[in-house]
Amino acid sequence: MRRDSALPWVSVACAATAFAACLVGWRLGDVAFDIAWAPTLDLRIDFALDGLGALYALLATGIGVAVFMYGSAYLPRHLAKARRPQREASRFWPWMVLFMVAMVGLACARDLIVIFVLFDLTAIASYFLIGFDRERVRARGAALMALLITGVGAVAMLVGAVLLYQRHGTFSLDELIERADGGGATTVAGVLIAVACLAKSAQVPLHFWLPRAMEAPTPVSAYLHSAAMVAAGVLVIGRVHPLLQRSELVLDLLLIVGLASIVVGGLLALAQDELKQLLAHSTISQYGYVVTLYGIGGEAAAGAAALYVIAHAIAKSALFMTAGAVTEATGRSRLSQLGGLARPMPVLAAASLVAAATLAALPLTLGYFKDELFFAAAHDEGGFVAVMAVVAAALTFAYIGRFWTRLFLGPRRMRPRPIPAMLYVPVVLLAAVSLAGGVAVGPFAALAQDAAEITHGGPVELHPAYHVNGGAENIMTLAAWGLGLALLLMRQVRRPLTVGLARLGDRIGPRTIYRQSLHLLNVASDRIHAEEVRDLRNSIAAVIMPGGILIGIALATTLTGDSWDIGRVRLADIPVLALMALVVVAGIVAARDRGHVRIVLSLSLVGFGLSAIYALVGAPDVALVAVLIETVASLVFFAVLARLPRRTRTAGLVVRPARPRRRLRNPVIGAVSGLAMFALVWASLSNATLAPGDAQRQIELTPEAHGGDVVTVILADFRGLDTLGEITVLTIAAIGVATLLRRGRLW
Amino acid sequence: MTVIVEVYARRLFGPAVIVALALIVKGYVDVGDGFSAGTIVGLAVALQYVARGRQRAETAVRLLHLAPIGAVVGLIGAIGVGFLGILTGEPPFTHAPAPGAKVIRVGTLELSTAVVFDLFVFMLVASVLIIIIHHLATRSRGEER
Repeated sequence: MRRDSALPWVSVACAATAFAACLVGWRLGDVAFDIAWAPTLDLRIDFALDGLGALYALLATGIGVAVFMYGSAYLPRHLAKARRPQREASRFWPWMVLFMVAMVGLACARDLIVIFVLFDLTAIASYFLIGFDRERVRARGAALMALLITGVGAVAMLVGAVLLYQRHGTFSLDELIERADGGGATTVAGVLIAVACLAKSAQVPLHFWLPRAMEAPTPVSAYLHSAAMVAAGVLVIGRVHPLLQRSELVLDLLLIVGLASIVVGGLLALAQDELKQLLAHSTISQYGYVVTLYGIGGEAAAGAAALYVIAHAIAKSALFMTAGAVTEATGRSRLSQLGGLARPMPVLAAASLVAAATLAALPLTLGYFKDELFFAAAHDEGGFVAVMAVVAAALTFAYIGRFWTRLFLGPRRMRPRPIPAMLYVPVVLLAAVSLAGGVAVGPFAALAQDAAEITHGGPVELHPAYHVNGGAENIMTLAAWGLGLALLLMRQVRRPLTVGLARLGDRIGPRTIYRQSLHLLNVASDRIHAEEVRDLRNSIAAVIMPGGILIGIALATTLTGDSWDIGRVRLADIPVLALMALVVVAGIVAARDRGHVRIVLSLSLVGFGLSAIYALVGAPDVALVAVLIETVASLVFFAVLARLPRRTRTAGLVVRPARPRRRLRNPVIGAVSGLAMFALVWASLSNATLAPGDAQRQIELTPEAHGGDVVTVILADFRGLDTLGEITVLTIAAIGVATLLRRGRLW
Repeated sequence: MTVIVEVYARRLFGPAVIVALALIVKGYVDVGDGFSAGTIVGLAVALQYVARGRQRAETAVRLLHLAPIGAVVGLIGAIGVGFLGILTGEPPFTHAPAPGAKVIRVGTLELSTAVVFDLFVFMLVASVLIIIIHHLATRSRGEER
């Protein structure tokens, strides 16, 4: 089998195996591991397949199986349409699998730093997947927007994590939940973490990246919306909820943002003509439900949120794949150009009807229970939220009804081409799962209950069933259906409202602010960059000038008069002084001379002079390394000089006459940084005392480390991690040289 | 280059490598470590390039073209040795044998994971320097001679 035809099936097998493993792990219980990989920083790799982890891991892998199957048929057609070679599939599948792995890891992570890393890993995978059609500007822009909005949001989460660590001394969620109080720091950290999650879950006002992300190939959209990227936001809220609920403020924020997202997303979804755009706005609204439930808080809401995520993931991925299949069959992607497809595509129509019914919460599907629990939680919260819940459900009913009826009913506009079975089999599979959930909700309820216990931080009883008893939930359900049907039928009332909102959003919405700020940022960055790299002197000044100013400020604010000690000159110091004088002379020569070779020679004289001083003051290790490095540096300098064009090489250093404005620049920059360094060295040598600090301790510990040479033991043992960092930099430098001189050839 | 320089360069290569090895072997009890040893090997190779030219230096010392592999092995090896401890739940760069434990001696050489780490550092430093020297000595097509 060729590699690009094997890849999708390997991916499907990965997902299926992972799904089975997660299922077994969840049933067995207590699957966890916890490694303290950097105990001095309190960092742990802490994963557990608890209820919440199992729910999202099962979604990521289970929906993954369906989406990957679909992708196996979709991607070859997608590539053929863009006239791209089939081997580009290898740019797709590894990212999809990484997306899944990151999501499963995130689902099980219980340490804030690990959560942050995996959170960003999903963003990175989504960046490459949204921008898969990289020759299109819109796809690249959409990928960057998704990465920026969710990535910058994630930084807020990191700040929140560090705040919590400062206060409670741990990144571990379990310990944090135990220790955290309802104080100010917890609230601020909670808001920051919530903002990151809301950006990820595309909630108002940071929702605008999600519709743009529809530039992605359909399997990516289906996966991103249902079980991966966007789900990651509500997953983390569900995970940290016991912390968030310490503060009423955070819960209120979630409630407001969730309700706003439901309404804005729902109204905008009603206005959309393009299939994937409609579904994208629907996702904003649907995750708004979940965020609202988390904002309500408590046992019932936690259970409802968990079940909601399951039902939504199944329905939304099926609907996206339906949209993709329809577009593949007809070549069209707008509701206004489609219609009457039920007769030529009966299987797809039936399967997507089930998916739409799941979202619209009709009985006999898993979706019915999600709304039942949602209404129950909203009803307990009080009048306003209950009314909003009915409005939300009505909006969902209306836009998803519009989606299905406009696609499959009405007059037939065109004759669809036959499509591979693999483009609708996954939809049928997901529809079957939803129907099974509608008949026997037990297993889904058990999973949701386990997850809700983590979110709620206590035991949760969840009993979804068809309660037909004329209770509040029944009335709310009927009201939602009736209102939804009315919205669906009354086109004249609906249109001005929704289209008006969409126009308004385009003109003054947050997307405009994003675009403007990105533009300004780009202009500013271009200006600074152009100034910095204009010539070599500017590049150097950009480093030494701020350094000098900072040192100057530090010295001026911390040191007093007695820090400036000249000291006495002893007889033994005379060789050192002579060497220093030599170094000074060599330094002046290097600054004033115009010949290339003389400059290099005087620079090495500076280096060797300093090495000799090290040897004289009794630091043989440092002296040895300094001599060796000076030799290497001089050699490399000469080798680089030899590569200069012959004319430049023989003419010596050509100094262009400086413009009058810049004539003072070099002396000023040199003086500021030089004087600052001079003052720094003087001050630190004046205060040099052999404090019983680190140095003393390391000398004492060296025999214990089975060594005789303190410097070597420090390098290899006490400060081994630093050495590792330094040799990594060395490797990167070698790659840099290879890139500059040989276009990246390593040999 | 005169013949004398070339002859000296050829004769000096072996002793330079021996000096480097000696620096590592006694590095833990005396002056010198993997970094300086690697630099000495790099300098010895540079001398070959200067005295004999790239082509002849690289045919004379066949191992040179393994430098990229050496750099990667050095880096991965150093990371591996450094993080070996976390498998047993200890912080990174916990070297064996532990303080106070008995050390295995081969002659006067004391074996410990710190010395192994130093060896990988040596490998990486020498390889990186050889790579840089090689690139500086190689001219890509279209460059002025």
